[in-house]
Amino acid sequence: METVKRNKYRSPEASAFYMAGLTLLGIVVITFIISLFWTPYSPDATDASAKLLAPCLEHPFGTDNFGRDVLSRVMAASKYTIYISAAGVAIALILGTVAGIPAGYFGGYIDKGIMLLGNSIMCFPGILLALVAVAVFGASVGNVIWALGLVFAPTFARVCRVGTMEIKELDYITHARVMGVKPYRIMAMHIFPNLVPQLLPATVIGLANMTLFESGMSYLGLGVQPPDASFGKMLSDSQAYIRVAPWLVIFPALMLVFYILGLYFISEGLRVNLAKGGKR
Amino acid sequence: MQGKVGYFVGKLVELLVTLLLVSLLVFAAFSIIPGDTARIMLGPDASEAQVNLLRTQLGLDKPLVARYFSWLFGILTFNPGTSYAYNMSVGELISQRLPVTIGMSAIAMVMVVLISYPLAVLSARKPGRLGDQVCSVIGHVLFAIPPYVASLLLILLASSLFSLVTVGNYVAPSDDFSGFVGCLLLPSFAIALPKIAMSFKFLRSSIIEQRASDYVRTSKSHGLSDLKILVRHVLPNSNVSSITIISIILSDILGGSLIVEQVFNLPGLGRLLLSAISRRDFPLLSGIVFYLAFITVLLYFLSDILAAITDPRIRLK
Repeated sequence: METVKRNKYRSPEASAFYMAGLTLLGIVVITFIISLFWTPYSPDATDASAKLLAPCLEHPFGTDNFGRDVLSRVMAASKYTIYISAAGVAIALILGTVAGIPAGYFGGYIDKGIMLLGNSIMCFPGILLALVAVAVFGASVGNVIWALGLVFAPTFARVCRVGTMEIKELDYITHARVMGVKPYRIMAMHIFPNLVPQLLPATVIGLANMTLFESGMSYLGLGVQPPDASFGKMLSDSQAYIRVAPWLVIFPALMLVFYILGLYFISEGLRVNLAKGGKR
Repeated sequence: MQGKVGYFVGKLVELLVTLLLVSLLVFAAFSIIPGDTARIMLGPDASEAQVNLLRTQLGLDKPLVARYFSWLFGILTFNPGTSYAYNMSVGELISQRLPVTIGMSAIAMVMVVLISYPLAVLSARKPGRLGDQVCSVIGHVLFAIPPYVASLLLILLASSLFSLVTVGNYVAPSDDFSGFVGCLLLPSFAIALPKIAMSFKFLRSSIIEQRASDYVRTSKSHGLSDLKILVRHVLPNSNVSSITIISIILSDILGGSLIVEQVFNLPGLGRLLLSAISRRDFPLLSGIVFYLAFITVLLYFLSDILAAITDPRIRLK
């Protein structure tokens, strides 16, 4: 049981990563929570008398070419970023575990078949596959989530497969098998819980990567559809005004990077802890 | 020798099977599209007879399996049909746009190697020092900036600092090759930035790991200089893992260029892809998707072969 014991050791390096990551992520998440109840203006309200205003007291982040308040729009956009990345990762996680654990547990042809399918999905530059899926089925938030979930599933399947191959050699699995426990029960009750420490950093980094993809798709106009605000769409709309109104680019970009960077820092902390913990 | 040849043949079979699966996936994706392609092309006013005629011309009335094989044959002979929207050969359309995408990816890759390798070597010399830590933090931040956001910020920087207004002016390689490279520099740099960070991170940790190993200590006690140990022993060993990383980076760069092209208004594959998507031009779309996947699979294959040549241990696994 030694090898699978959860360990409580925390290195100072990991703590620094956690602190930085949670701070950045916290900014975005708190913005998101506030936006659910209150935004300074309606994110879609246009004001012809307040076009392209520089940041000021009434509009801390300025206004865009339609006179919409950028702060309100940034707040509203954080909703889609968080929602799409969370839902997409959930789908990828479920598909990945359901495919990856049996692949690692049974081996043989099941493993070969599943890995071949996963590898051929990974052969496409990820963004390409997601774009095509959205092109075929239409651009909507739901389709973006499914497409990204599918694109990211092989990554999780790999983590599960490798982890399962290690764990299934341990004595307690052999013991369970000898006791006559059914394979699906072994996988669900004995293997899956022990994969959590490895799945956790993969999940956090998956959230970040998915946000990269989603914002890219929204930038191309194939993600979140107007009039709903998303960071990618805001950035593509503001590109024409980049010289006269740089705040239109800077604030959405900043929030987007905060979210992604926060997640990277947290995953880095998890990884450091896992590596340092393993050495002790 | 048996093992070596066997390994390469096995990899080749794997490559072919993967390509077959990729082609099946692409074909399946474009076969389950809702809606009648012939009807969409002709619009709602066309008569049933016209639609049927077009359907026969496009070969859409044949069974699915026959269509798959004729499509596969076309795509393998680099003659994947005619684009609906442009009324041009898909192969010709793609080869017209390829220089921008390939050029940008190549420049970005050169930047990744030229910047990340020296930095990683310097950083790994004394891990934990200020310079190393600064590099690591900057690396993390760069890693989190999507290439198209980096492009926007670079445009902002270039226009405000140097009042450069040439952004977005495309020069064809046949007109002026150095101008062509010049207009691709900024977009390539934007794509390269996060990948520089990624390559730096992997290479740095790999070098640090190698330097702590026994053979380095032995070489040191034999009196080899630090530089010699680095060049002769540490780098080749770290390289093996970085070959795999580089193939991943290349595929990411290819994907990233599709978006960054859009920011800089460059006529590459990304633009063609988007116009194919918006016009529902499926022969063109399936051609682009298949060839891009083909390039990626080939890159992975080459990196596997290269890794096996530089490190015989891989062949035994």
